[in-house]
Amino acid sequence: MVQVQKGNRSVLVVGGGMSGLSAAIEAAEAGMQVYLVEREPYLGGRVSRMNKYFPKLCPPSCGLEINFRRLKNNPSIRFFTMAQVTGIQGEPGELDVTIKINPRYVNSKCTACGECSLAAETEVPDPFNLGLSHVKAAYLPHDFAFPLRYVLDPRILGTPEAEKIKQACPYGAVELDMKPQEFDLQVGAIIWATGWNPYPADKIPYYSFGQAKNVISNVMMERIASPCGPTQGKIKRPSDGGEVNKLAFIQCAGSRDENHLAYCSGICCLASLKQATYLLDQNPQAQVTLFYIDIRALGKFEDFFNRVQAHENVTLIKGKPGEVFEDPSTGLVTVQVEDQTTGKILRDQFDLAVLATGMVPATAHDPVPAQVPVDDNGFLLEGGNSSGIIGAGCVCRPTDVATSVQDATAAVLKAIQACRR
Amino acid sequence: MEPKIVSLEMREYIAEMGGDTLNWCMQCGLCTNLCPWRLVPGETSEKFNIRHMQRLGQMGMEGFEDETILFACSTCSMCQTNCPRGVKIVDNVRGMRASLVGAGMAPASLRPILGSAHANGNPWSGPREKRMDWAGDLELPSFGPDKEYFLYVCCHSCYDPRSTKTARSIVRLLQHAGVSFGVIGTEESCCGESLRKVGDEELFLNLAQSNVDLFNGKGVKKIITTSPHCLWTFAHEYPELGGQWELVHYTQLLEQLVNEGKLSFPKSLQKKVAFHDPCYLGRHSGIYDTPRNLMKQVSGLTPQELQRREASSLCCAGGGGRIWAEAPVGERFGELRIQDAVAKGAQMLATACPYCVNMLTDACKSLEKQDDLEIIELAELLAEALP
Repeated sequence: MVQVQKGNRSVLVVGGGMSGLSAAIEAAEAGMQVYLVEREPYLGGRVSRMNKYFPKLCPPSCGLEINFRRLKNNPSIRFFTMAQVTGIQGEPGELDVTIKINPRYVNSKCTACGECSLAAETEVPDPFNLGLSHVKAAYLPHDFAFPLRYVLDPRILGTPEAEKIKQACPYGAVELDMKPQEFDLQVGAIIWATGWNPYPADKIPYYSFGQAKNVISNVMMERIASPCGPTQGKIKRPSDGGEVNKLAFIQCAGSRDENHLAYCSGICCLASLKQATYLLDQNPQAQVTLFYIDIRALGKFEDFFNRVQAHENVTLIKGKPGEVFEDPSTGLVTVQVEDQTTGKILRDQFDLAVLATGMVPATAHDPVPAQVPVDDNGFLLEGGNSSGIIGAGCVCRPTDVATSVQDATAAVLKAIQACRR
Repeated sequence: MEPKIVSLEMREYIAEMGGDTLNWCMQCGLCTNLCPWRLVPGETSEKFNIRHMQRLGQMGMEGFEDETILFACSTCSMCQTNCPRGVKIVDNVRGMRASLVGAGMAPASLRPILGSAHANGNPWSGPREKRMDWAGDLELPSFGPDKEYFLYVCCHSCYDPRSTKTARSIVRLLQHAGVSFGVIGTEESCCGESLRKVGDEELFLNLAQSNVDLFNGKGVKKIITTSPHCLWTFAHEYPELGGQWELVHYTQLLEQLVNEGKLSFPKSLQKKVAFHDPCYLGRHSGIYDTPRNLMKQVSGLTPQELQRREASSLCCAGGGGRIWAEAPVGERFGELRIQDAVAKGAQMLATACPYCVNMLTDACKSLEKQDDLEIIELAELLAEALP
């Protein structure tokens, strides 16, 4: 007879983005005890920084809201923010995990009243807005942050300003001497869902990213277009706040390139087509040009591609741009490309150029602290089950939000199996 | 539209001659855009499109054999280094040129060059017996079993009057640091790097084989090259012909000597110096820091980086046989280098390749900037700072 039950019926989910959040909730709703660990001071991951999803063009906030409610209503989930896994020992069914919690310098007494932020003077680049704006050194990670709690930038510790911030808090929530904490958890299985990072576009020498202000990445575009972003959703030129009438998208900025990411990142074509609608909704006169090698709109996305392509202000040009540079006097960005359908070399100027940077799995630079199989690019491979560590979402392959959610649900089943082994 | 004829024989021939990665191309056109020809106006710029040329080769179609197209590439590797598919574009260019040159159809302008290399062992129409005349009154040691390094001087620095100064400066530096080295002499032949690049496979093999036999016969183990072109072919093309030696470009050896405390530059030179990365030292061989580190050893020098540098350096236009080509004024890549250096306020533009010195000097003259900017080989600059 099959061995009925052995091992610990609890699951650790690492990463509180869409994959991890989904996995944690699904596992808890299947009756498992769940611990969720997130490195940032808030849950929601990269999805919370997006303006809209493709192809429905709805904001991610409603989906996140629903998930946060499911999470809050479920007593089987405990979550830790500003936390990371530093060690994993043991076998599937009996894993001993070490968790480190980094100091937030704000404790659970915080009511998000904002007095600390008013008392702060130092401004730091806003990590949530990818440095496109600044926040006070005592800040709420973002308007809809969950948990709704402030955080202190450690750079002000030890200054009179930090003391002033502490004094300003009417609830005694600011704890300047907070120390990192470490503790162990016993779990049956781990779902690794630490997500992805955008490919650093400054590694592509010919695209001027980091030098030309009006050359931005697609993740920056999400922030610029977001109503809670640095420009309240108005798409403007970062150099001077000027209007964007001509917008270029440069596809495969890093992806499908042996010198950068040898794989297709899968989502960037749809992301750029989606972002084209952001501008056209705001400025119907705007002209959008998308430079591509191939448009990869798989399955049902073909319809969305056809719709955007049919827009009279959208031009698609097959060709990988080479030189991209900014005129320092006008801020205009010149893009040079060979149109592969005509063989002509085109040079055109744009107010803004968006680089469709690809997805790098978080595990490429932050590996799982245990023996799990990964491919050359750092993606987790199938077969991690034997270690009790199951990948979900973009650590396994570049994928969109909907697929990440499905992937997370599938990973939960594997995790339950690993607990029973 | 008239029908295009696809020749399977031509496709196979080009692949055999080294163009076997032509089919990896996915037609994205990045190569065409990164090509230095996009930065200048003129007929060649308008006609020469490296992506299109390879497409013709891929299909075995006519149209690439026009001299303006087939011999435009300076093999700078800007496209190859950045190609998303890792297409060996320089090999493809070489293979496509070989399909013509191998059939005895070398362009008229290249025939005397190839003829000289065949007859004299160098492409500069210099008599073989005068190969060592560059040394002048320098005491030039002969290579033998008692010598650690064989110093291989590029033909350009053996025969070109301007370039011989570079070779003499390198000898001075090596002697000053007490390096055990020697030259073999008039039996040395051209390394053949650029001759292979223009498509003369047979000539290259003859020159290379004679060098391999000569060097091995003399017991050569370590070679110092003066030119990064010789360095590259010795490192990448000679091993399969039996030439397996420890190779250094002279800048690499000098850096090592400085680090070991055997070489220093006590004289101060008050100059603002820009460095032009040679394609065969930089993109082809991956050496970027070495020349910069050497310049830092000279007190008084103020380094000034050019806009296009290191892996994004702009070619001087002297590689791939272009050193023998005539480009009209206004269409020379070197002119862009001069303009950049002058705009940055540099008084000197240093480099570490005889072809680059040659091309940049020409460009400087054609822009009449000789009084503002001195083109100098790094070895000459360093030798000036010796006591």
